[in-house]
Amino acid sequence: MPTGRDPSPSAGDDPARDVLRLTRSIRATWWYTAVGIVFLDLVLAVVWASALLQRGDDRSTVLVVLVGGLAWAGAAVPLLVDYRTLPELALGRGRLRALPSLVVAAAYGIVAGSLSGLWTLAVVPLVATAVLLRWPPGVRRRVAVAAVVLVLGLWVVDSRAAATAGSDGWPLVGFYSVLLAPMVVFSLWWWDVLVALDRARAAEGRLAATQERLRVATDVHDLQGHHLQVVALQLELAERVLAVDPSSAAEHVRAARASVDEARQGTRDLATRFRSAPLGVELANAVDLLRAAGTVAEATADPDVDSAPGDVLGAVVRETTTNVLRHGGGAWARLSLGREAGSWRFEIANDRAGGADDEPGARAAGAGGAAGPGGSAGSGGTAGSGGSGLDGLRRRAAEAGGTVEVRRDRHEFAVVVTVPDDSGTPGAGAPS
Amino acid sequence: MIRVLIADDEGMIRSALAALLRLEPDLEVVAECADGEQAVAEALRLAPDVCLLDLEMPGLDGVEVAARVTRAVATRCVVITRHARPGVLRRALASGVSGFLPKSRGADEVAAVIRRVAAGQRYIDSEVAADALRDERSPLTDRELDVLRAGRRGETTGQIARTLSLAPGTVRNHVSAVLAKLDVATRQQAVLRAEEAGWI
Repeated sequence: MPTGRDPSPSAGDDPARDVLRLTRSIRATWWYTAVGIVFLDLVLAVVWASALLQRGDDRSTVLVVLVGGLAWAGAAVPLLVDYRTLPELALGRGRLRALPSLVVAAAYGIVAGSLSGLWTLAVVPLVATAVLLRWPPGVRRRVAVAAVVLVLGLWVVDSRAAATAGSDGWPLVGFYSVLLAPMVVFSLWWWDVLVALDRARAAEGRLAATQERLRVATDVHDLQGHHLQVVALQLELAERVLAVDPSSAAEHVRAARASVDEARQGTRDLATRFRSAPLGVELANAVDLLRAAGTVAEATADPDVDSAPGDVLGAVVRETTTNVLRHGGGAWARLSLGREAGSWRFEIANDRAGGADDEPGARAAGAGGAAGPGGSAGSGGTAGSGGSGLDGLRRRAAEAGGTVEVRRDRHEFAVVVTVPDDSGTPGAGAPS
Repeated sequence: MIRVLIADDEGMIRSALAALLRLEPDLEVVAECADGEQAVAEALRLAPDVCLLDLEMPGLDGVEVAARVTRAVATRCVVITRHARPGVLRRALASGVSGFLPKSRGADEVAAVIRRVAAGQRYIDSEVAADALRDERSPLTDRELDVLRAGRRGETTGQIARTLSLAPGTVRNHVSAVLAKLDVATRQQAVLRAEEAGWI
């Protein structure tokens, strides 16, 4: 059985996995966008170099244009990183950080432009780099249009210069140079759209959660309103009969207390109705709590733990861990959950803390068996005690077709619960 | 006779609980405190056997009071709360709280827990424990949670750094790690998220 000290928290949790997948595809899209933009810069540098080569320029000039193009494309990388990581509000900070990249682009333009004598080569690097800055909303589009007009104009001016216009590659130079800025802007726009969609998805999730909360609030209001009315009536009755029949009055007061307990339990059930954690998370939480209580705790779990019958085993984990915690934790505790021949086996063992007569996994929950004589009618009926103690565990396990085995010796107390693989609902522990 | 200190900022609950506990023959309520600071001062002065502390109090909360008191005098602390935020149990256990129970328990049960704790045992309510185990796991480290807790009322980075005796740069690093882990844009959002999940 492969084991892990820390059962993975989100494996098997479908919403979490979906979010993870989405996050991954957003990251992939980002790489696609960023690499695409750098690649566009590189292609343009190659187009320029080949046009110059065709024109019969020095090999050294061609080389400078190529190598400079590499530096220019590289200078786009920090801008792209900033574009993704800096929030929109940090415009000023982004500008200052962008300065080195802009300087590199400008320098490349000056060198390439003066060596080739072409305006296009002088201006395009700076323009194409400038559109990568975070412009205020709407401005980038105008910057792109201006860039198209400017570069087109310069290309026409360059075309008039006799030496250039003749070569075959020249229209291609114009095509790429003019389109570079709009293509970069389009890529970034696409990325912005994606980010906006991602945020909308997150907002949608939050909205659904808020609506659910409102619904629960209404339920709580109805439930408590009903019980409060009952309590008020019972108390009024008690007040009326107090003088004539004290014992009947006491009866009504007890009934009122029971109603209060009912209301409390109902409220709690509402609040925890949708609360559940994957089994792996419950195990990890158990270890956390035991460690916080000063116990040396360790859990081993099958990697496939979240496919185990969570409603049964989750309750078992909660029950046994609570008992170990309550009894002072002790010096050590060991939890393990694994698959064995078609069934799941959970074992919790600890040193027998709390004295020889205490059973760490077995004591009744609720009031710990310590409630005073004549304890209130409803106080025993709280969540834990319904399925608490070894008997509760046995009943739960039997319902799922499983067994409970208790092992005691001088140094160790252990509870082993075995349930068949296919029982119950897999995934998450249902509220008890 | 078990000497008990009660701290709760809600006066009605405090006095009702005190009156009910006084009915128990073996319990003596020696102090009733309205907030955390007062509870610490009284506990240090009187050294009661058991301190019954409300979790939600202005200023110092019940767990913080317990941590300060148990460090200084030989007393045992029970924390009571209305809604048991799961992360609190872990914090309470780590700071040496001996008992943890929800406010919904009757006074007779509270008295039973006081006796138990005074006898040196520990009592963790099963509801609270079940909640804690079903808790969403916090991706944050204890230090990062400390930073969020210290800054939950909008304190500046400098103030957080002074509270935790850290360098401002370290606090900033923790904060940016938190923002990345929770995928939120501001520290405020991170605090809200952590409070919702019961981590702080």
